[in-house]
This record gives sequence, C-alpha cells and structure tokens, in this order.
Amino acid sequence: MGEMEQMKKEAEALKTQIEAARKAACDTDMASAASGVAPAPRVQLKTRRTLKGHLAKIYAMHWSTDNKLMVSASQDGKLLIWDSHSGNKVNAVPLKSSWVMTCAYAPSGNLVASGGLDNMCTVYNLKTPVIKTVKELDAHTGYLSCARFLSDTEILTSSGDTTCALWDLETGKQKTVFLNHVGDCMCLALSPDMNSFVSGACDSLAKLWDIRDGQCKQTFQGHTSDINAISFYPSGNAIITGSDDCTCKMYDLRADQEVIGYQDAALNSGVTSLALSVSGRLVFAGYDDFNCNIWDSLKGEKVGVLSGHDNRVSCTGVPVDGMCVCTGSWDSFLKIWN
Amino acid sequence: MDELDETQLKNHVDSLKQQLQYNREKTSISLPELTKWIEEKMNEDPFLNPDVLKENPWVESSKCVII
Repeated sequence: MGEMEQMKKEAEALKTQIEAARKAACDTDMASAASGVAPAPRVQLKTRRTLKGHLAKIYAMHWSTDNKLMVSASQDGKLLIWDSHSGNKVNAVPLKSSWVMTCAYAPSGNLVASGGLDNMCTVYNLKTPVIKTVKELDAHTGYLSCARFLSDTEILTSSGDTTCALWDLETGKQKTVFLNHVGDCMCLALSPDMNSFVSGACDSLAKLWDIRDGQCKQTFQGHTSDINAISFYPSGNAIITGSDDCTCKMYDLRADQEVIGYQDAALNSGVTSLALSVSGRLVFAGYDDFNCNIWDSLKGEKVGVLSGHDNRVSCTGVPVDGMCVCTGSWDSFLKIWN
Repeated sequence: MDELDETQLKNHVDSLKQQLQYNREKTSISLPELTKWIEEKMNEDPFLNPDVLKENPWVESSKCVII
C-alpha cells in the first residue's frame, strides 16, 4: 500500500476512534438535562430603528464594546459607523475594494477593519482627525471572510484559502497560521477568555484552535453543508453554528460533540448569521428567506421571528450589554430590535 | 482528504492523534452545568427579564416638549 493510502486509512481509523470516545461520553442528552427548565416565553420584538444609508447589499456588521456605536459594511464600497441610539451616521470609510465581506470593531473603539474579495484585511484608525488606513494585511491567497480584533495590536482572520491567521498589527505580518480545514473558512468567533477561537468552513466542520500554539484542539462535525456563522456561548463551554444545510447546532466543548440542533421541516433556507443573547438562552439566526428566527437554545424550539427585511438577512449582532439585536440585510438596511 | 499532499496528510493524521487524546467530559456532567449557567444568567438577560429593559435606550422615556 502506498504511503498516502496508508495515512488515509490511519486518518479514517482515528476518526472512528474519536466517534467511539464521543459516544462513550454521551450518557445523557439535552432534552433530559434541560427537562426541569421552563420553556422560554414567546419573544416579540419591535423595530426600534431602521438605519438607512447604504446603497447596496450589507454583508456584515459588528457592535462596538460601548454598546452604542456599530460598524456595517456594504458592497456600495463603504464602511459606515452608526450611533445606534440616534440612528445617525458618525463616520463613513470609503473602501479601496467594494467587494467587502466582513467588518470588525476593535474592543478599544479606536480601530475598525474590513476585508473581502481583495484577499486583504485593511485596518483603519477612527481616532485620527481624518480616518487613516493604518495597515493592509496582505498574505491570504483567498477572500477574507471574517476578521476579529483581540486588541489594538492583534487581529484574527479567516479566509477562503482554508486558513485562519493571527496578525501582529505593528508589523503587519502573520504571527500564526492555523491550518487544518480543507474548505474555505467562512467565519470565526473568539472565546470569552481570548485563549482560543472557533472557525466554521465549507468542509462543514467547526474547529477549536489554541490561539497561542496554533493547534487545532477539537473538530465538530454534523453539518452537511457550509458553516456560515459561528459563536461562542457566553459561558465559554459551548459553541453554536449556522449552516447552508438550514440548521443551527450547539456543540458542547467539554463533551466534544453536538448536543442539540435547531431546525424546522418548514425551513429550507440557509443560515447566514447568528448572535446570542447575554445568557445564551436565545439564539438569533438570520436566514436567506429574509427572516431572523429566534430559538430557545435549551429546548430547541422556535420562540419568535423578526420579519421586516425585504431581502436576505446577512448579519446579526447583539451588543455586549445584550440590550438589543441588530440585523443587516441585502435590502441595504440595518434594523435594531428589542 | 483527496486534495491534500503528503505533508498535509501527515499533519492531518498527527492532528487527529492529538484530538483523540482530548479528555472528554461526560454529558451528564457538562450539560446540567451548562443549563445551570444559562438559567442563572437569564435574570440579567434584557430579552428575558423585562425589568432590565426598563431603561431602553431606543424608547423615549419622556414625552416630547415643545420649546
């Protein structure tokens, strides 16, 4: 047998052993564990603001840690910084490339980042008298699907080149490259303690990575199509994913396996985005069918829906204080709901 | 896996060996703890505890005054 064939057999055997170890750890399910918990009440939210200003599809949005400002990215070639309370635009950042797929707000509020089909992550300083480009991070060989700041000096990116990377913003170079996915990486989420992150990819897998040693620690399977959205539970011990297979799934990190799925026979649109309420009890999932469905994360039941967009919901976000949820859409509008 | 070259495949196998070593917790322990964590936090969740949303930045708390 050739070496390659040998290694492929070994990989399959290891995967079988991992599955067996997971089964051995699965001595109860979520339905039993949450049987004593009352179902979440029906959630009916009102649109409090409709933010108008973009001239084309919105692809991404991200809240500032101040719970008031947020950044949105549109293929009209602009990043807009909004004061969500007043609904006013605070800043507009013209992009060199209008094919933007992601945007991010630094925890400090000083920087924002964007990236897309230009394969680059561009970082802007919002605090200089005129907004300046401070770095163009150029090393990915595929589109930039997601970016998240750890601080003003470090940023994580995920790319269509199947890798994720940690960058040093002072040198503009990659410190660590995370290699293990075999499909385009579509999304990433930082753990609450900032020591690890998870990525979702077109290989239908989610992976947990140690930021410092660059290793893939755990791999989560179950989806049958691209994973477009991923988020950590606020407790840090579970993650949730949203996929083109029209379902969301919760994976328990400690048990290393899927513990509950969020799906409906009537739903046949892909999940584009998701966000969690501060307790993690509610999941806000944006879909291709123009709606955002609200799921009870412990019971797996749909408890509400946000209808109002005239096109695909492409992004959702809940600020740190959990006081609202923002949805962004291909209809060019952002809506704030609570 | 068919798209990987020899080095990549070797790395893949090494990674799987590492991932197999992960110390898995039983769901009978992890799930009740996760459930408890979420339940305790629900009190602070503006979507689930209306008291937290009393000061809603997006709703006018007082009537408009004509100056």
